[in-house]
Amino acid sequence: MQLFSQIRLSLAVTVAKTVTAIVQGLGLGSASVLPGEIARRLYPRLLPLLFAQVKQGVILVVGTNGKTTTSLLLRTLLEDRGYRVVHNETGANLINGLVTTFLDQVNLWGQLQADYAILEVDENILSLVLKDSVPRVIVGLNLFRDQLDRYGEVDTISSRWQEAIKPLPKTTTVILNADDPTLSYLGKNLSQKVLFFGLNEADLYLDEIPHAVDSIYCPSCGSSLEYQGVYLSHLGDYSCPSCGFSKAQTAFDSKDWPQILIGVYNKYNTLAAALVAQEIGINKSDVFTTIGNFKAAFGRAEELNINGKKVRILLSKNPVGMNETIRAVKDIRKQEKSSTTLLVLNDRIPDGTDVSWIWDVDTEQLSSLGGTLIVAGDRVYDLALRLAYSTENNQVNPCELLVYEDLKAALEIALEKTSADETLHILPTYSAMLEVRQILTGRKIL
Amino acid sequence: MENLELKIGWLYPNLMSTYGDRGNVICIQRRCQWRNLSVSIIALDQQSQVSSFQEVDLIAGGGAQDRQQEIVMRDLLGAKAEALRAKLDQGTPGVFTCGSPQLLGHYYEPAFGQRIEGLGLLDLVSKHPGVDSKRCIGNMVFEITASPLAEDLKASTGETPRIIGFENHGGRTYLGTVSPLGKVIQGYGNNGEDGTEGAFYRRAIATYSHGPLLPKNPFLADWLIQKALEQKYQIPISLTKLDDSLAHQARQALLQKLNLTNRAKTA
Repeated sequence: MQLFSQIRLSLAVTVAKTVTAIVQGLGLGSASVLPGEIARRLYPRLLPLLFAQVKQGVILVVGTNGKTTTSLLLRTLLEDRGYRVVHNETGANLINGLVTTFLDQVNLWGQLQADYAILEVDENILSLVLKDSVPRVIVGLNLFRDQLDRYGEVDTISSRWQEAIKPLPKTTTVILNADDPTLSYLGKNLSQKVLFFGLNEADLYLDEIPHAVDSIYCPSCGSSLEYQGVYLSHLGDYSCPSCGFSKAQTAFDSKDWPQILIGVYNKYNTLAAALVAQEIGINKSDVFTTIGNFKAAFGRAEELNINGKKVRILLSKNPVGMNETIRAVKDIRKQEKSSTTLLVLNDRIPDGTDVSWIWDVDTEQLSSLGGTLIVAGDRVYDLALRLAYSTENNQVNPCELLVYEDLKAALEIALEKTSADETLHILPTYSAMLEVRQILTGRKIL
Repeated sequence: MENLELKIGWLYPNLMSTYGDRGNVICIQRRCQWRNLSVSIIALDQQSQVSSFQEVDLIAGGGAQDRQQEIVMRDLLGAKAEALRAKLDQGTPGVFTCGSPQLLGHYYEPAFGQRIEGLGLLDLVSKHPGVDSKRCIGNMVFEITASPLAEDLKASTGETPRIIGFENHGGRTYLGTVSPLGKVIQGYGNNGEDGTEGAFYRRAIATYSHGPLLPKNPFLADWLIQKALEQKYQIPISLTKLDDSLAHQARQALLQKLNLTNRAKTA
């Protein structure tokens, strides 16, 4: 490194670390974004310099759903092999969050001791990250409609990704979900090494394509795609009758693989991480061992024990995510005793301020199960209204609907309604999940 | 009431349904079911014949991404567009939210690509001011001013009809001679400049407001159902009251959040 760069880097790091110390010292928060912002103003080319120091390379994880769980599995896979890993585990996935993650790990000279970095990257800043930084692997999980009030539309995002990846060198491997037509198409148009993961298990097909689907049109020619079957939202086995575009060939047979946690969405997360592991040379039996021992990230199918009762938190932050968590609850209720579900809807910035997406969720699937549905959150009445409109007969509701403005009261009644041999399921949006955890465990995590 | 039947025509459900717009269809469907009225939903899309467009009693349309909107227009132009136009001209009620009002106007100019020609049914045009300009996003409240809708709603609810919803649009709409649906109390409305929101033509309601629109403004859903049945059977219809306390609480909560509760009371 040139002396001048070294001095600027060191200066930026010193200032950032001082800011972190002050913010945390005064108990103002965990300082997961601000130090990065300040350091980057002092030295705009900070991120590529930090990337270059990661010995084995940087792995970027992008996609609407599953970033945190996939990254956590990947990190566990690497750490189980003794690698030192940097990971933005707080979920701060915009540029300043990425920079802050590195700054926490460097010494005052800006030197980093890390074999790998795993960065969860917001789908809208991938282009910005790739402008001057080269990752070892990019993992594209899926593209669903999420928080459109903050950004734009699915089509626009995928074409931006393609433009951003195109100029990267051949040393970057791109790992994509073959079951997502948009990503399959993206992969076929890249000159880098591209590997695909996906499912080939017809017994997991949904009975019909859910309404929350975003893209069932051929990304190549615009005709309607024909689906042999759908696994989740618009993810499935498909082909285009008009131009012949079809699902890309996957690297693995999904039937050969165990999965982490519950739900079809976690099958995808498992396969994505396993494919990265293969690409960087971790052998299959080691991957199996890590999968077998895996524990959930907070709020993602995480299980808590509260006063002897089992509580399972299933983060539900967009239509696709929530359709899948409802499906998981439905499947579990065939095996486990569970009659009460608590749903919490907030409309803060991390949740998205537009709550209309709940009408794209097939809540009918939940209310038809019977039992007790308890709703809470900033937009509790919006959610209650959605559930009320889920039944055809307003005289004989198949389930009991309880509405609480106060989350604490809702949690108390939910636990009360759950008997000792039952599981309470909680489906919260992002900020609601943090609140629920804090009330249940008495600890702040962010 | 038991013998009455309502057919809801849903425009391109797979292409034009962002931001929970199907909530409008669910709302109309359930409010009919809860009153023991027969109700069916008919998709009006690429697979439909022109006759399907002609047989429906109420039409609903939602928002679309720019590319989807183009596919819709390509399929609609010609006989289907004519059938839709004739329906709305005759007074068949319609509810068009988010992107679908753009479709009913003369044209829509997207951020990228070619101008998309509309049906020209409503005298309005829509333009996207460019990919770098701000989207109009946020909770919105507006008062319905269009006649005779405003008078009808005042008579049925006893209140000044106030719509609550959420808007999220890049495009801006400019009205020609068509009547605006209402005036903005909170939010951007058609273009963030002239204080108008939406458009009203015969019995067609066009608005940028989703949320979705009808569940939280149930009096509007009932107006559509009532007018659709009256148009179809040519007899006066009076709908039984439903319990809308959850909708009322959702409205109060939002008005409170926006500090609009006092004005709601005095209005």
